Amino acid sequence: MATLPQLIEEDMQRLDEALREFIGQTDATAALIIDKGGFLITHQGDSSQFDVTTIGALASGAFMANQTIAGLVNEPNFNSVYQQGEKSSMLVVNIDEHCLLIVIFSASIGVGIMKYYASGAIRKIAGQLAVAQTRNPGGGYDLSVLNLADSENLFRKKD
Amino acid sequence: MAIINQATKELQVKVVYYGPAMGGKTTNLVQVHDHVQTQAGNKGKLVSLATSSDRTLFFDFLPIEAMTIKGFKTKFQLYTVPGQVIYNTTRQLVLRGVDGIVFVADSQYEKMPENAESFQNLMDNLTSLKLNIADIPYVLQYNKRDLPNAAPVEYMEYLLNNREVQVPSFSASAHKCEGVFESLNMITRLLLQKFINQGAPSHA
Repeated sequence: MATLPQLIEEDMQRLDEALREFIGQTDATAALIIDKGGFLITHQGDSSQFDVTTIGALASGAFMANQTIAGLVNEPNFNSVYQQGEKSSMLVVNIDEHCLLIVIFSASIGVGIMKYYASGAIRKIAGQLAVAQTRNPGGGYDLSVLNLADSENLFRKKD
Repeated sequence: MAIINQATKELQVKVVYYGPAMGGKTTNLVQVHDHVQTQAGNKGKLVSLATSSDRTLFFDFLPIEAMTIKGFKTKFQLYTVPGQVIYNTTRQLVLRGVDGIVFVADSQYEKMPENAESFQNLMDNLTSLKLNIADIPYVLQYNKRDLPNAAPVEYMEYLLNNREVQVPSFSASAHKCEGVFESLNMITRLLLQKFINQGAPSHA
């Protein structure tokens, strides 16, 4: 399975820029980029009220479950998941092979505008991820800065 | 697979607890959640997507941050899979992006066929994701050692740990939090070791 590239400062700036622009266009409450394995990559907007780590894990699970359902009904691709609520709504859209865009927005805003502007944001985000992948096609790790001796008993039990 | 964010100096890794139904996977996460020493804010909520009878339906999820290693904030995402045989599609979904596995086996004699079947199912599911058990760090946890009908550890080793390369194994009684942290610390150590051995050009 291919891996995500390592992301550097420039990548993060471009990704955050794309999210901020998208939020400016749509008045969305928050936008997150996550990996399909459930990792949160970055987020913008008023996300202080949300547990974005858990939202990332659950949304990726929900999206991937829907992809499996698509296969079961012979649909080649469900590329988004939309949940309409009374106060807030959520849209999860596919970015590329590895990543998803999650948008949380007021239920008073239509999903159409989100989908319309999301397509532009996704192009930019996917483009930057492709740049990062090209820069480091192996997507390898260089964690020689880590000192394993320090990792012994990372997790300790309370007395 | 793990995400390394050089900009924010964050490393995110995914550990999945796998094993037969009712073997104690969720109990492991509950014990880690209840007993781990963390600084404020370093432990997230334990989220369980369970049935009305408390059986895991989709997964349990516990995000937890470890002490910073040489400037890197390390975020661990701990997941369980549903053990029931019918939920195999769900297990495949949860395994996506896995970095390390704790296989929680049930030590009771009558559960040995289920242990073996679950381990084979793990290998099959990894294969379907184009992964190989030989490439993923994993540890074995022999849970429920406190039950009177527990099979000898040697027998469980023969059953589950008889490959060319043997992996670390731990006796556990997860409901008493015995063997839980030992298993978690070993899998984190193994997967960090793997990352270091996979050294590649850096871009920071």
